[in-house]
Amino acid sequence: MSEISRRDFLKLARDGFLYLSGALALGGLLRFLEYDPNPAPKTEFDLGSASNFPLNSRTLLSNPQAVLLHTENGFSALSLVCTHLGCTVEQKTDGFTCPCHGSRFDSNGTVINGPAEKPLRSLRVETTNEGNLKLFTA
Amino acid sequence: MKKILSVASGLLFLTLVFTWWLNSREPKPVKLIPTLSGQPEYCITCHADVPEISASHPIATFGCVSCHGGERLALNADLAHSTMRGGANPSDLSVVEASCGGSNCHSGSEADDRHHIQRVMTSVQSTYAGAIANIRYTFGAQTDLNAHYDISAITDDQTKTGITALLAFDPASETNPSIQKFGENCLTCHINATPREGETYTRQTGCAACHSTEQHTLTTAIPYTQCNACHNRGNYDLRTMTFTERTDHPTQRIDDYYQPIAQFTQCEYTLDCVDCHTRSEVMGDGDLHASQKDIQYVQCKTCHGTLTELPLTKTLTNLNDIAFRMSFLNPVVDLEPGDTIIITENGEPFWNTRVLSDGTYEMIGKATSQYFTFKPVMGSNCTQSGEDQSSAYCHECHAVER
Repeated sequence: MSEISRRDFLKLARDGFLYLSGALALGGLLRFLEYDPNPAPKTEFDLGSASNFPLNSRTLLSNPQAVLLHTENGFSALSLVCTHLGCTVEQKTDGFTCPCHGSRFDSNGTVINGPAEKPLRSLRVETTNEGNLKLFTA
Repeated sequence: MKKILSVASGLLFLTLVFTWWLNSREPKPVKLIPTLSGQPEYCITCHADVPEISASHPIATFGCVSCHGGERLALNADLAHSTMRGGANPSDLSVVEASCGGSNCHSGSEADDRHHIQRVMTSVQSTYAGAIANIRYTFGAQTDLNAHYDISAITDDQTKTGITALLAFDPASETNPSIQKFGENCLTCHINATPREGETYTRQTGCAACHSTEQHTLTTAIPYTQCNACHNRGNYDLRTMTFTERTDHPTQRIDDYYQPIAQFTQCEYTLDCVDCHTRSEVMGDGDLHASQKDIQYVQCKTCHGTLTELPLTKTLTNLNDIAFRMSFLNPVVDLEPGDTIIITENGEPFWNTRVLSDGTYEMIGKATSQYFTFKPVMGSNCTQSGEDQSSAYCHECHAVER
């Protein structure tokens, strides 16, 4: 095996360091560009196949926080975000209750008692050509 | 030349590795998007261990920035904290409107009973108007006992008490040395003052002075010990205009509650202050008042009635009644529509009471959750005159022995 000359070693080391430095710098740059500390909130959610939600079902969703209703009129959804200050309401047998300040809503989202003054927000639900459900929060 | 280039490239590489290593030691950013603001914030990257402040203010809804301020996207501590409101206490009255205000929060309308900040700002606990007027009158700086001064200047355009404005009290501009000393030594109790040094005086300022009983906690279940951070800790000596601390070291509630010289009935020391003293008495009613006497109105008869009158009561029917809101925030009692509770002569609910079917009454301690039953004076052997409700008059028969 031939011995590497001092000159070749230095060249190899220099090139190696430069390539590695370039790779590190590029990696750092990509990481920097990829990072978005202030992303816009997601407003469109794919809920999967509509067949997963049988007729007359009420399904609590965790992301987004909503309840998906499947009635004879089709699919609809109610936001579980309290219209007072934005806490997540809890489903009860007769409607929804806000655990933060006690607002209560009936099962259609209408206010029973405050402090909330507005009903729970209705969210748009669409069925795609592939039979999937899409829910829109904005 | 080639040798230099090789060394330089090596140094560049090492510098980049070192930078990468330094960066990898930084905490991974943890994002939270509170539903109230909908804007990402990174405070919990470092503050994940801070406990939830109250059930009414969950972090998932409020986050940190809506109350505390600060730079929500910053990961550097100094930058993140640079624009915080009130340091660690956003409820300090100097910043409370920005931190706790808002029509749906604590500076809403009087009709909705959400004008908490307005009430606190004008309450005697903030203005100290009565104490200032008394001292100025005593030492000849004013000719009447009317309130003219506040800790800071304030106006009330919609006054119901006739006091439309108070000027800022400036002890330095007073000529009487006793009033100057009062300013130096005796202004540590108003709600936004820095408290005296010592464990027994420990409290924060603003809303947290009363509602924060532990670190990063907000509660309406306020024990008497919180009130005692200001009350019953000693006496002001009018001769020297200094504060003299209590020297006893009580170990039992009966001794700790009041100063040694005070008399009290059993309910006055087994209950907590907030069980009897109403929201308007303690937090104010939104109007400027001349002194504590003008706002404090609850008496023994409020709960016990007199020989000829039962206490006032109210059967709850409206789900939006403030009584339900209060009991929701401090669920020591599960109020239901149809429950009958005691109310004060001003209509404030003692939501932690219930009229029982046998004609007796029940009060549940807001801070202790203890149940207390009591009877009305009517029908008892009490020989009181219903007109006299002074403390000494009732204590004459009902004070406990110490």
